[in-house]
Amino acid sequence: MKRTLINLLLMIAAFTIQNCVFPLIPFLSASPNLLLILTFSFGFMKGQRAGMLYGVLAGVLLDLFYSGPFGFYTLFYVYVGFVNGICTKYYYEEYITLPLVLSVLNELAYNLYVYVFRFLIRGRLNIFYYFRELVIPETIFTVVTTLFIYRLLLYINRRLTEFENRRDTTIV
Amino acid sequence: MESKKNRYVLTGLTIFCVLLIGVTSVNDQWLTPLRTGVGYILIPIQTGVNKLGVSIYQELSDYGRLKGAVEENRRLQAEIDRLVEENNRLSAEQFELARLRELYGLDQEYMQYEKTAARVIANDSGDWFQVFRVDKGSADGVKVGSNVLAGGGLAGIVTDVGAHYATVRSIIDDSSRVSAMAVQSGETCIVAGDLTLYKDGRLRITNIKKGGDIKEGDRIITSNISSRFQPGILVGYAVDISVDSNQLTSSGYLIPAAKFNNLQEVLIITDVKEDGDFAGE
Repeated sequence: MKRTLINLLLMIAAFTIQNCVFPLIPFLSASPNLLLILTFSFGFMKGQRAGMLYGVLAGVLLDLFYSGPFGFYTLFYVYVGFVNGICTKYYYEEYITLPLVLSVLNELAYNLYVYVFRFLIRGRLNIFYYFRELVIPETIFTVVTTLFIYRLLLYINRRLTEFENRRDTTIV
Repeated sequence: MESKKNRYVLTGLTIFCVLLIGVTSVNDQWLTPLRTGVGYILIPIQTGVNKLGVSIYQELSDYGRLKGAVEENRRLQAEIDRLVEENNRLSAEQFELARLRELYGLDQEYMQYEKTAARVIANDSGDWFQVFRVDKGSADGVKVGSNVLAGGGLAGIVTDVGAHYATVRSIIDDSSRVSAMAVQSGETCIVAGDLTLYKDGRLRITNIKKGGDIKEGDRIITSNISSRFQPGILVGYAVDISVDSNQLTSSGYLIPAAKFNNLQEVLIITDVKEDGDFAGE
């Protein structure tokens, strides 16, 4: 319960920072996709069920912000949670390489999804331009940010586990 | 067993999302209560974080600016002198214009719209879309389709509105289309956002009829025939007009009058052009 609440707060904080703080930083030409990092990290650390839950949460927040068809982002983020949840069997704490690889793959998939359904559909064929100018910078920023966010999540996770264990023993 | 159950959940969610996308592409009016409800929780957070961020940023940049301020002050004083002189001349011409208008019986007055000022509280941080959110909503008279001005020019249009917030799609967004015309000739054209031109600070002007009289440096304003934009709002200035390869139309570029980097305050026109017809743009 406490864990879900903390994760929910993290999600909202990420959404707020992404939309209210990053655009104010003038030298930031691209900005990391925090919601994507959180969703795939939760999926990777906690399995498919949790991944999908946080996927829905992140997707709904984004769908509420944009005024396109509702569900566009939710659909994608649910899949992010689910697919990354498959890799949860390779999860152990000190292993940072796999999360970084996943972050690149997720970022590419996300941008491809937006490009195909929002741009290609309207006949914008100049994929290399978009790739060079938007996708690569954003991917780099996201990977670098993943390094920090993932460690932070591990830390929070460890503290919560400790807390839960302690509570269990006091009950016994 | 567990993974099978997960797959059912995934399938269920997928079908649900696809249905939702389908339904809301046709009509998303019924979502407004939900958006407004969530807005009551999210908007105060966004406003708070935004205020904090802006004040820190301004604190820092204010100090930097102080040094240049003395020089700037002198320059501005000269500017004021020049403007006062110009203002005198213009107000004289204004009288003349009013007299001539009366003479011609022109009762149509541009730029006499009801406006409300709003603060930008959130931006899309990704680069794919140019949308932002402001802290005024239907409670302040903002409606879907309200035109948004910034820095003396057209900035965008409200696409979604809650009780205390509104989402604005700027004219530099890739899917934005504005029906416009040149001030001097009244020649119509379409001003379209284009993501590939966004970094150069330009928009695209298309659909100028061949031989249409739009020249380099012409002021481009929203046209009378637009179904969504109030007429007579300055959009920007035309540059690099050339004839298209099909020899039937001309096209070129537009430098917008509004500055889009670091938008903080905007004006929203609360009168909406009600044609009911959103097609054509």
